[in-house]
Amino acid sequence: MDVIRISQMIKDYDLGKIKVRALCGVDLNIRKGEFVAIMGPSGSGKSTLMHIIGCLDRPSFGDYYLDDQLVSALPKSALSQIRNKKIGFVFQSFNLLPHLNIQKNVELPLMYSGLAVRKRSHKAIEILASVGLEDRLRHKPSELSGGQRQRVAIARAIVNEPSILLADEPTGNLDSQSGGDILEIFNKLHQAGNTVIMVTHDSAVAARADRVIRIMDGNIQDGDLAG
Amino acid sequence: MAISLAESLHIGFADIWTRKVRSIVTIFGIVLGVMSIMVVLAIVNGMNKSTMKWMNERGGLTRIDVERNWSYDFSKGGKAEFNLREINYLQEQLPELAAFNSTISKGDAELSRGENKTMADLQGVMPDMVLVEDWRPDKGRFIKELDIQENNNVVVLGSTVAREIFGSRNPLGQLVTLSSETVSYNSSGEAESSLKATQLEVIGVMKERQMDSMGGPFQGNMLEYLNRRAYVPLSTMINKIDPNQQISSLELKAKDTESAGALRRKVEELVLNLKGGKRLFSIVSASEQMQQMKQNSMIFSVIFVMIAVISLLVGGIVIMNIMLASIKERTREIGVRLAIGARRRDIFTQFLVQTVLITGLGGVFGVVAGYSILGVVGKYLGVEVAASAQMVWVALFVSVGVGLIFGILPAVRASNLDPVLALREE
Repeated sequence: MDVIRISQMIKDYDLGKIKVRALCGVDLNIRKGEFVAIMGPSGSGKSTLMHIIGCLDRPSFGDYYLDDQLVSALPKSALSQIRNKKIGFVFQSFNLLPHLNIQKNVELPLMYSGLAVRKRSHKAIEILASVGLEDRLRHKPSELSGGQRQRVAIARAIVNEPSILLADEPTGNLDSQSGGDILEIFNKLHQAGNTVIMVTHDSAVAARADRVIRIMDGNIQDGDLAG
Repeated sequence: MAISLAESLHIGFADIWTRKVRSIVTIFGIVLGVMSIMVVLAIVNGMNKSTMKWMNERGGLTRIDVERNWSYDFSKGGKAEFNLREINYLQEQLPELAAFNSTISKGDAELSRGENKTMADLQGVMPDMVLVEDWRPDKGRFIKELDIQENNNVVVLGSTVAREIFGSRNPLGQLVTLSSETVSYNSSGEAESSLKATQLEVIGVMKERQMDSMGGPFQGNMLEYLNRRAYVPLSTMINKIDPNQQISSLELKAKDTESAGALRRKVEELVLNLKGGKRLFSIVSASEQMQQMKQNSMIFSVIFVMIAVISLLVGGIVIMNIMLASIKERTREIGVRLAIGARRRDIFTQFLVQTVLITGLGGVFGVVAGYSILGVVGKYLGVEVAASAQMVWVALFVSVGVGLIFGILPAVRASNLDPVLALREE
């Protein structure tokens, strides 16, 4: 069963006088529980693809089905709920809110999905324990190492049990040791049945995936050859 | 489902707390604005109160005064004076009055008994003075109609005058000597003054008058000048003490406040006819005066509240700018919130609530600050200040309103951010 079905997707950016086509008719299916790496040089359109998969942006043309729901037809206002419930983001630069302690950071998606306060903290603590940070609940992100911060970010991404986990260069800001730890967590999540989509430059990182999708000039090169 | 208001308030307080210094700077304008609204309203309120109190002390709102018209050009002829016949005529023409008094103010006169003497403000009055001033003797009686008819040598003393002459002894039935200077004109028109002594029997002592001033240039008892008076019958004053004195003022009292205005116009007409159409006298009704004063203080307070509101608006614009800058600075945070599922509505609410919280807090601090400087301001300006619960609500309402108005634009801008661009922001 495919969790993501994308067909003939085109994305144009209107830069005033000129139009730039970032994606030129992309077809892509991703199965549930698959671990996929997206690779490509900068300017290849991989960020654009990733933003559309993450429902942060909408395609200009083409259909995008997420969990059999045609999300490309949804208005922008409905996309925030999709992001909240179905997508977990992990960013290169962690993107934790610096003023909140890590428990509060992990609780944020639960707050926006309207969970009661007590249930939130239960769930957040449970998830943080699963990434080994149960003794740091009251720490601010600035008091943690890069690897620890990325673990908080992963906890935040999975706390709402999303359909897909979307990671953008998750090891890009980390040393190889903690980068390896983070990849191990993704591996475990994948083994537990989660769908993981990871954007990366690093072919060593990409090698851990079931399948590598190469993207170039807005086209997928050899998406179905790997794995 | 959007996040609740309680949740937004919680986020708002946390935001304010993590940016303490900025928040304090931001609310400063609002604090000042609200503070000045508080102070202005309290001053106006206090002024109205003390005016009302003064009016009541001086015979209430039914009082009508006929006084020399100072704006009349007396070189055109005519004297602002009534003779006893005119007084009788006016009294007959105005049966609807509750009280009719006319006064001759002789001014400083020496009263003595043996070694003890003092200066008193000597006035010739009619029996109704007690009604006009709503002021009765404490001991003995006041001047009666019979005293007027018979030009009796009687005097009613103010409490201070009585104390200075008699000390603690009972003055009733005692004789005092009035030494007064009388100016007369000889055949060649030159003024000659002569001293004259008159024996007067003390028939009463007025109740002591007391009204504390509310700071200001007058310290102590504002009504002490009344305690320094001595009253003799109007006729005695003219016929026995000083024939040069003329009646130059009337104090009248209407039965009720409603009829005071109409009565004033009637008196004005009568006096005008009596004096051949010359406006020698001005006729003032206390109730109309009060209305005028209320109107004046209304205009005054509207002007000052508007100035305060303008300063609040300036404070609001400052807050709007700081919020806009803050949103620029927090673009990435907004991007993160949007990415993990915040709706535009949530972001909008978050920032609007934060602005309203800031202005609301400013309002609370402003009320507290305004309240705590009221006493000092009152003392410094020499006016009475009176705070009321209503003012507090006005101040808080206005400050929250400023937050709602000036919070909209920053909140709209925050909620309209594109999540992709916001996440890219450094």
